[in-house]
Amino acid sequence: MPIAQPGRRLMHFVTLDFVKKRATGHGRRSPNANLSLTSMIDFLIVVVVFLLMTFSASGETPPNKGLILPQAENTLDMIDAPMVSINGSQILVNGNAAGNTHAIEDNKRLQRIDELFNILKGKREVWKQLHPGKDFPGVVVLQVDQDVPAVVVKSTFQTAAFAGYPNVSFMVNQLPKAGH
Amino acid sequence: MAGVDVGGGGKGKRRSLDSEINMIPFIDLLMVTISFLLITAVWSHMSRINADAQVPGPPRPDQEQEKVEPEKILHVEMRSPEKFTLVWKQGAQVVNSIEVPRKDDMKIEKGKKMIRYPDLAAKIQEEWKNNHNHFDASDRKLDQAVLHTDNETAYVYIIGVIDAIYDTHRKVTLPSGKTDDVPAFNVTFAVN
Repeated sequence: MPIAQPGRRLMHFVTLDFVKKRATGHGRRSPNANLSLTSMIDFLIVVVVFLLMTFSASGETPPNKGLILPQAENTLDMIDAPMVSINGSQILVNGNAAGNTHAIEDNKRLQRIDELFNILKGKREVWKQLHPGKDFPGVVVLQVDQDVPAVVVKSTFQTAAFAGYPNVSFMVNQLPKAGH
Repeated sequence: MAGVDVGGGGKGKRRSLDSEINMIPFIDLLMVTISFLLITAVWSHMSRINADAQVPGPPRPDQEQEKVEPEKILHVEMRSPEKFTLVWKQGAQVVNSIEVPRKDDMKIEKGKKMIRYPDLAAKIQEEWKNNHNHFDASDRKLDQAVLHTDNETAYVYIIGVIDAIYDTHRKVTLPSGKTDDVPAFNVTFAVN
């Protein structure tokens, strides 16, 4: 007996035409569909152009891992400035350790953070040497976890001001404006 | 296969200026570009809220000090859990003081806390309209607000109040000549 390709067997015994069509699958729409290449390439090019326009080569400064920033509506765009992060009890300046907040949390009173002060002051001196004759902008950005107590925030704020950074910005997540 | 006509033509047996590009690598390239851009895209945009530590400049004995009448400063007290107190002070003199009920409607989404004080923002706006020092668009100086908080308050509440203070906007003419909407206040912290 010759070997034949197995086909559909279901409902083959029914002689009605419309049943046969259904049974053999001829009445169904093909699962393959034609895709217009022109429209697809147009779409892909539009997506590429959109993504290229929104692409930032400099990259955004992501918040440190494990740090949850609060959210605010009335915000400004980020600027390039030294980044002071406070996560738990650790203080970092541009990712490098710059002391901790244990002393402030224990005493529960405002005080200068010496290690942070020295690092920021050093950065200020370097900036002045690199940009002679220019006014120092004195901007620092604070990345502070949402649950950090006010005494730590105020101490950091004050330390930055003492180190020559009176313009302190708080990094936040942008909220869409409501009712404006 | 698809063809790209780059023009040209003319007489003689020149090589055709029409060239064909293979669609498969072309689509592959587009797909790879899209994948790269999608992977490197940053969807959560970071912003900042400004604060200014009022640091006086160095003493200038060579310059004669002008006697300037102190400006009215808005002090926002958030020490009480039930109310905010808005106090306008001119030097040491209290000009005006009002209380705003405090409602801490904390919203938590995926661990992110959010707190908004729309009543406080509305009251500050009303107060600024009645007591502002700087209003004209040509005047680029901002009114000063001082935030008073206790040492235990969590940072998220402080940002909520600063955000409410910055909700009051006014028109300012920029050096370029354009007029922009900017926050009417500049916020600083009270150290006590």
